Amino acid sequence: MNMFASCMITALILLTLPIIMTSTKLYKDKLYPYYVKTATSYAFMISMIPAMMFIYSGQEMVISNWHWMTIQTMKLSMSFKLDYFSMIFVPVALFVTWSIMEFSMWYMHSDPYINRFFKYLLMFLITMMILVTANNMFQLFIGWEGVGIMSFLLIGWWYGRSDANTAALQAILYNRIGDVGFIMAMAWFLLHLNAWDLQQIFMSANDNLNLPLFGLLLAATGKSAQFGLHPWLPSAMEGPTPVSALLHSSTMVVAGVFLLIRFHPLMEQNPTIQTLTLCLGAVTTLFTAICALTQNDIKKIVAFSTSSQLGLMIVTIGINQPYLAFLHICTHAFFKAMLFMCSGSIIHSLNDEQDIRKMGGLFKALPFTTTSLIIGSLALTGMPFLTGFYSKDLIIETANTSNTNAWALLITLVATSMTAAYSTRILFFALLGQPRFTPIISINENNPYLINSIKRLLLGSVFAGYVISHSITPTTIPQMTMPHHLKMAALTVTILGFILALELNLTMQGLKFNHSSHYFKFSNLLGYYPTIMHRLAPKTSLSMSQKSASMLLDHIWLESVLPKSIAFFQMKSSTLVSNQKGLIKLYFFSFVITMALSLSILNYHV
Amino acid sequence: MSMVYINIFLAFILSLMGMLVYRSHLMSSLLCLEGMMLSLFVMMSVTILNNHLTLASMMPIVLLVFAACEAALGLSLLVMVSNTYGTDHVQNLNLLQC
Repeated sequence: MNMFASCMITALILLTLPIIMTSTKLYKDKLYPYYVKTATSYAFMISMIPAMMFIYSGQEMVISNWHWMTIQTMKLSMSFKLDYFSMIFVPVALFVTWSIMEFSMWYMHSDPYINRFFKYLLMFLITMMILVTANNMFQLFIGWEGVGIMSFLLIGWWYGRSDANTAALQAILYNRIGDVGFIMAMAWFLLHLNAWDLQQIFMSANDNLNLPLFGLLLAATGKSAQFGLHPWLPSAMEGPTPVSALLHSSTMVVAGVFLLIRFHPLMEQNPTIQTLTLCLGAVTTLFTAICALTQNDIKKIVAFSTSSQLGLMIVTIGINQPYLAFLHICTHAFFKAMLFMCSGSIIHSLNDEQDIRKMGGLFKALPFTTTSLIIGSLALTGMPFLTGFYSKDLIIETANTSNTNAWALLITLVATSMTAAYSTRILFFALLGQPRFTPIISINENNPYLINSIKRLLLGSVFAGYVISHSITPTTIPQMTMPHHLKMAALTVTILGFILALELNLTMQGLKFNHSSHYFKFSNLLGYYPTIMHRLAPKTSLSMSQKSASMLLDHIWLESVLPKSIAFFQMKSSTLVSNQKGLIKLYFFSFVITMALSLSILNYHV
Repeated sequence: MSMVYINIFLAFILSLMGMLVYRSHLMSSLLCLEGMMLSLFVMMSVTILNNHLTLASMMPIVLLVFAACEAALGLSLLVMVSNTYGTDHVQNLNLLQC
């Protein structure tokens, strides 16, 4: 009997303590952010103990401690599944969140509601923990909705800005469409398997599972911003940079991928869903990489990069490698959060300038940020033996040697080279060359919060890939032997992307600006997808309903068909037929004369 | 014919004359129409009661109902004319002339 369960529960409860303290005097204290950050760091250290126990002995556990209710034959209880996925994800997420909280102590320093900001971040973290440790679909759904709500509150943090409100609403709406799929899967599991517990679902599932798996895929599309439900992710950059770093790069958007990874025993058996997943992920990664090539906002480029990496994770699930996808989730969290934090450092230093066309020459001015930005970009593109290499290169190798859809694999390779291209673009425009901003004195990076947080993630970006991939228990065997050209494929296309982007940027530097080509406009306007979808669909439904309700029923059937048509007809025919002069008195008087005459004549007639 | 009938018949003729011969106001014609209806009602009731035509006793009531309807119709037309012109002078009713 060891401390596995108690350590894990302690770590989770430790996170909720600052939330409970909200009603006390502590919440109004100036030091509340410090308490939150410290609570998160302690939770991280405590959760490392069960993680290391798991790595050493492979011990997994399901904690099922409170029977909530029984609905006829289904028992709902609060149960935590502490297996491979959650044991490794929880320390990673806590580590990244710890760094982001320290970063936001610097970034949101001048915000009057900083305590509330930290409370929201912590509530988000708690719901994310509920999501990854859930053993039944109901608890997962609680976490799922919770992260959606916290995402809404945090994206719309600066709610005086109408763009932020629109972006928050957009996130909620797109996530909701995905939730329909989730609920459909839950309903199917309830009807056919009478269970929402993962163990029971995996044991008793033996017939055609297309419908619930499709529902789960739809849920992942909504939450992880795959193609079709993707526009909310670049719009979500309206939120503060710590929010972008935490939610929309490392933690929330991987919830969809995590859901598919959780259900991998079901997805292994179903080739249809695997093909769908593969194609969806491939389209996403290529499309968002194309869109990232011409964006001008540094946060949007990194957001599209996130979306592209999420597509890559979905591709990995599509080729039946859930463990590799999970490894990519963990490694991606490090360098993506760091990229966002470096962007935040640049933005704050340049007095809230987010356009890369107005940056430049920060190589000498912000050395530490430059270093971490370059290392983060290299890790993202899969530079050998940095963090991204251990997951991304394995994914590309496995994809190249599997016998699935060749088109999907090809466009994944193209997207990989584009990753290098837009990373080069960020580095070129933000760091190199001469400054394109007005001289300001606020360029500095000598705050220990900033330095320490980025430094921690920097160490993670460099070493975490090696540490994690050499500590975990063996899972699916990666492909060991393949021809040279397949082995070098990822590296080759990445270097090709780097060189091409660098050459293009250097060449175009001094040339005159000519009008945008069609390809540029396609890429810059996100493939016209938001323009079409956000305007055409609502306009169609609203005009259809107005036509049928108001014009058809009210104007035509109730007004025009009988009353107005009769009136019109009568008027026209009376003006056509009659030729009166309107001498009413004369007509009445002639009536009197006629009657008098007839009566008098008839009187003399016997 | 007894005096009662002649009396009421004379009232009817008088109202009829009043309706057909009027100078300027449409209202006077409507009023005389009401007078005609009233005299018809009285003549009908006296005849039925004197000759014990019991089965026809409901006819005065029916006549009254229809008289009310037509009075309402006439008044609504008067109100329309008055809304358009401000008065109900007959010389205004010349829209249909061609």
